[in-house]
Amino acid sequence: MAQMAAIAEARPPASRQRKNRALPSSAALIATAILVVGVFAFPWFNPGYRALSFAVTTGVTAIVLYGMAIPFGQAGIMSLGYAGLMGFGAYTAAILSRDFGMNMWVAMPFSVLVAVLCAGLFGLPSLRISGHHFAITTYVMCELLRIALINGGKFTGAATGLDLPPMGMLLGVKLDKLGNAYELVAAFMFLSMLTAYCVANSRYGRTLRSIRENEQLARAIGVNANLHKVGAFMLSGLFAGVGGDLQAYNFRHISPDLYGGATSLYFALMVMLGGPRTIFGPLAGAIIVTFLPEVMRIDPVDSRIAYGLALIAVVMLLPGGVIAAAGRAYRWAARALHGAPANSGSADAGASLT
Amino acid sequence: MVTFLQELVNSLSIASVIILMGIGVTLIFGLTGIINFAHGEFLMLGAIGVWVLMGYGLGYIPALLIAVAIVGLIGFLLERGLFQFTLLRPNNGFMASLGLSIVIQHVVIRIWNSFSKSIPEPLPGVWQIGEITFIKMRVVVVAVTALVVAVTFFTISRSRYGLALRASLADRETAALMGIPIRRYITVIFAYGSAIAGLGGALTIALFPVTPFVGSEMIMLGFAVALIAGLGNVAGVVGAGLILGLVNGLSGAYGTPEWTNAYTFGLMIVILIFRPQGLFGGTMGPTIE
Repeated sequence: MAQMAAIAEARPPASRQRKNRALPSSAALIATAILVVGVFAFPWFNPGYRALSFAVTTGVTAIVLYGMAIPFGQAGIMSLGYAGLMGFGAYTAAILSRDFGMNMWVAMPFSVLVAVLCAGLFGLPSLRISGHHFAITTYVMCELLRIALINGGKFTGAATGLDLPPMGMLLGVKLDKLGNAYELVAAFMFLSMLTAYCVANSRYGRTLRSIRENEQLARAIGVNANLHKVGAFMLSGLFAGVGGDLQAYNFRHISPDLYGGATSLYFALMVMLGGPRTIFGPLAGAIIVTFLPEVMRIDPVDSRIAYGLALIAVVMLLPGGVIAAAGRAYRWAARALHGAPANSGSADAGASLT
Repeated sequence: MVTFLQELVNSLSIASVIILMGIGVTLIFGLTGIINFAHGEFLMLGAIGVWVLMGYGLGYIPALLIAVAIVGLIGFLLERGLFQFTLLRPNNGFMASLGLSIVIQHVVIRIWNSFSKSIPEPLPGVWQIGEITFIKMRVVVVAVTALVVAVTFFTISRSRYGLALRASLADRETAALMGIPIRRYITVIFAYGSAIAGLGGALTIALFPVTPFVGSEMIMLGFAVALIAGLGNVAGVVGAGLILGLVNGLSGAYGTPEWTNAYTFGLMIVILIFRPQGLFGGTMGPTIE
């Protein structure tokens, strides 16, 4: 069965190819439109400084999570190294700003470049080490980075970290104002969501899924699995680099503890909670874990207990995350109301826009 | 030379705790296929358990025994209540254990607090042999570890239960057809591994102060030892644990203590890349269809 699915994933017959390109359902489009408008309009509801700054952090986190969802959700390779990749991006931005006076925009390509190369480096062991061994390896690489940053002396600012200048201007808009920084992060967040969606629904996304479903079979029919595995990582490094650059300039102070293995664990928790294979999953995970507890002023210890339990419940009861479950519930409700199967959009389960 | 021998002796006790951690990981990961990221929290629970029980006025030894029993029981309940449902999907078990690790850690912080906890030295004093000082408690820790290793090793390699266990690892279905109660073996191994981690914790708090965060650090050392040695290889864990203990002790004495974990982790990555089956050879974990 898995073999059949893998063949279908990698080489769809002409008739299915057309079906795969089907537009998302109208319900999904309406939901997306409401989300986009709601997110951009958020500062006009007077959320207050505290909620708005947590919203910025959430948006930056979501950018990285969309990157993480490509190897994890599509190629099925779990990595616990994304805080580290984000750290490479953030420290590149901070060091370039300190030593060469580069601003956020000039530093961004360099942050991305460093994060992409390091993502390739983090991904390389996946050719030799598989499954959980690989997840543990990437966690350890993340910890290695943290140790190196702490011991980096003046160059990395040791345990106290580095400071950054304010964001500056973009097209005459002052980005130092939190509301404007929020809109910028929101724009980048939707851009990464769109990128992740396009990747998932492309030929490349299907290739990655064929590796996930049955790597040996994918190799047998001519998929260069090694290339695509490392490639998927490098692609996700792009997101981490952008996220790191944005985070560094939003916090204006970065330290090694932001990028250790523990943060990577929370990233993994968020992606799994939201659902790595759904288009709203990473954002939902970031909102549930980063935004809600802070804004509702839940004790951080209590909220961590709640999220740990929620993760266990989601893994055991709702495989695929809360967004996938919500999509199933919606289709079930639509069937019950109309007595006919609701249009679930694409027939390609791995990439469906729920 | 004397300093070197002294460091060698000191690193043995660190190695012991790492070995106790690694035995649990290697048995559970290597023989049952469950990847339990919360295993480090069992060590932390063992340590905190001793601290709490001694707070009620118990002596060290009864506190240790009760704490180990409680951690073993927790392991048993978690296997029955959670991990047994993930046996066919180890990935789910791994993810659930990430959540479990966060839950256990923060429940402990919630009930007590996140500060480091210590107990009065249960066995004060030293033995002096030549110019080398043996701290008594450390010698006890090494002796207890040696005992646990010996019992575990001979049970697995010599007894009929060990034979059945290895058979079920080689081929789960055939072993089940031969009348080996595989599910029961998995439960027992899980509870035993948890109890050993609890013992590691109970011994650790006699040596150093312990914080509720010790688990996440120890689990990485546990994975490192188990993967460097080769999964399921108990004797290999001893070898790898001694190597890591030495790296720990010697880098503290001669080199750069702040890079200690980096050496350990670097070694682990290199070995995994060049010898995925581990330094001393082990299983790659049970094959699950």
